[in-house]
Amino acid sequence: MSSLARSLAAEGTAASSAPSARRHGAARGHSRAAALYLSPGMLGFAIFIVVPLVISLVISFFEWPLFGVPEFVGLTNYRYMLTGDPAFWISLRNTLIFAVLYTAVNLTVALGLSYWLMNLGGRWASFFRVLFFIPVVTPMIGNALIFRLILNDDGVVNQILGVVGIQGPQWLNTPFWAMLSLVTMSLWQGMGYNIIVLGAGIAGVNPSVIEASRIDGAGAVARFFQVVFPMLSPTIFFCTIMTVIGAFKVFAQPYALTEGGPGNSTNTLVLHLYRNGFSFDKLGYASSIAWVLFVLVMLVTAIQFSQQKRWVTYDS
Amino acid sequence: MTSVTRPAVPRRTVIAGLSAIAPLAFLSACGGGGGGDSETANTTLYTWVSNENDRAQWQAFIDAAKEADPAFELTLEGPSFENYWTKVKTRMSSGDAPALLTTQAARAQELDALLAPLEDLADAAGVDLSQYNEAMLAGMTVEGTLRAIPYDAEPLVLFYNRKLFRDAGLELPGITYSQDQFLEDAKALTSGESYGVALSSGLVHLGMAIGFANGGQPVTDGALSLTDPMIVEGLQFSFDLVTEHKVAAAPAAVDSEPAAQQALMNGQVAMYLDGPWMYQAYEDALGEDLGASIVPSQTGEAKGLIQGSGFGIASNAKDPGGAFETLRAITTPEVIGAVANARGTFPSIVSEESQWAEGKAEDNVAAVTAMAHNGEALITTSTWNEVGSKFSQYATDGFHGNRTAEEILSEIQDAVG
Repeated sequence: MSSLARSLAAEGTAASSAPSARRHGAARGHSRAAALYLSPGMLGFAIFIVVPLVISLVISFFEWPLFGVPEFVGLTNYRYMLTGDPAFWISLRNTLIFAVLYTAVNLTVALGLSYWLMNLGGRWASFFRVLFFIPVVTPMIGNALIFRLILNDDGVVNQILGVVGIQGPQWLNTPFWAMLSLVTMSLWQGMGYNIIVLGAGIAGVNPSVIEASRIDGAGAVARFFQVVFPMLSPTIFFCTIMTVIGAFKVFAQPYALTEGGPGNSTNTLVLHLYRNGFSFDKLGYASSIAWVLFVLVMLVTAIQFSQQKRWVTYDS
Repeated sequence: MTSVTRPAVPRRTVIAGLSAIAPLAFLSACGGGGGGDSETANTTLYTWVSNENDRAQWQAFIDAAKEADPAFELTLEGPSFENYWTKVKTRMSSGDAPALLTTQAARAQELDALLAPLEDLADAAGVDLSQYNEAMLAGMTVEGTLRAIPYDAEPLVLFYNRKLFRDAGLELPGITYSQDQFLEDAKALTSGESYGVALSSGLVHLGMAIGFANGGQPVTDGALSLTDPMIVEGLQFSFDLVTEHKVAAAPAAVDSEPAAQQALMNGQVAMYLDGPWMYQAYEDALGEDLGASIVPSQTGEAKGLIQGSGFGIASNAKDPGGAFETLRAITTPEVIGAVANARGTFPSIVSEESQWAEGKAEDNVAAVTAMAHNGEALITTSTWNEVGSKFSQYATDGFHGNRTAEEILSEIQDAVG
């Protein structure tokens, strides 16, 4: 290569490297700004989520009293949970039953009601939306007290049934009815949230599409299942995820309504976890239950995400 | 050489970032334990303060101690009774924990690690421990050492409504009362919506007290013995009151005790088992119609299940000797007598019983005293909270006739061990 050519090449390299360096510098600057913006959130996430999670995992390998010296026990807590604690399996079964019943009925009824509210329209729709949402913002313990008065052996429901000559069941004192009462109270409390979210989703459906389906001769049922439902599927998917996660974490309802009884028939995983940690002084064992619950919820959520392409359409 | 200029991070960005971090730093600062000085700790009592009644009781100790020493000071700190047994363990772990705490005899085993032995401190201070109720001292003893000085010794007694008994033409129960007579009375006092007896779904209530009066022991040699035949029989008797004899309503699984207490005070039921600490509340509601009897037993003789509480010193107290000075000031015979007189707690010192008896019906005093003098403290295990919690879950099955007492107690015995 001649000296001229080398000189030209060098000039060319210098000319092209200057903007590139500026670009890299700008990118580094943006990264730092982004890190600075993210740091408060990430710091909070680390302090309040990641660190407690890791500590909880560590505690689960110890026999850890609320007061006193912890003792490392390895996998003993997990072994006891899976092979020595019958209440764990019953709690797990109850939690699954509750989650399935609660999620299925919640989504079905909330979807139906929000669709009805869309058709109703006007002030009455707004009135009912507020009415359905009020239980969501009321404290669960207060609701449980009211439901106890309603569902006790001589409570409001049985007294009303008595007037018409029916002897009502022991709503809170027999396993089947106690679980049903638990689900009913939870639905009354939690359904308003899904009604609002699904209502917003329905409101976002393009009216011209619905109009077109009507012109094409689709009836109300076909219009709902073949037009509205597919367009609403991302919202339903979101509601399903959130409702299932909430259902797995059910605690206040059995705690305040039945104390997990009769027997263990309404004992749930979180109630079992709470009792072991804070009443029975077994923080290590409670942490191991918490981790199993965490993994279980993660698995169920992961399965839901993996299956969403079968029924969720993001093509609006 | 080409210089590369880095984009300056805007000042606004830095301020925003720092502002966001500031609350976290504040939170971290709030979380610091800090170490309290021993003088403050020695004059702070961690105890349950569920309501004004509790606060008034603790204040009565302070007021009585001030009579002897006007400079006496004691600060109260603590959650409700229900939360106390959980929170006391975490509170006592902190650097500024109070040096004084309260325990029930039935929970002393559970708080073993929190409570310091007191014998040496009492010896050094010249306190005569033999003046306190023997059963309560036994209840406060864990692994051979005394962990708390009892201020009351309260036997469970059967409260009843004299008017309802008189209206039904029944003889009033007194210092002897057999189970058969009790059942007969309960049947006679039950009509329509009114029941002869109110029940609670808790473990240590009528069934347990009857089993105990008949010689049963839920804990033997430091181990659970829930399937003791007398305990099983006592609890089955209480279940049968609902399912077979229909003289009591099935208690709710949750919060059954306040409802039962209210039923007695409203005159809806004729009898309810409770401790003398409720005497004043019942007397306020029923006036001269309030009666107190021994717990019914097979022989009709009195044998009391004594529950009571006391003050102890934290095992991690920095200055146990200083803390004991405060403890001593609130457990003198004069203070215990004054509190018994003012608040109705049955005193742990025999010589002060007259203070408690003042203004109360003679036959009621005789019944409560008979139970206290012929009683034993309920000594439990460190797992007692778990036992009680499980029983609350299962009790509703028993009160609805779905399971027997033997099945329930065997399952709990097997689960808790």
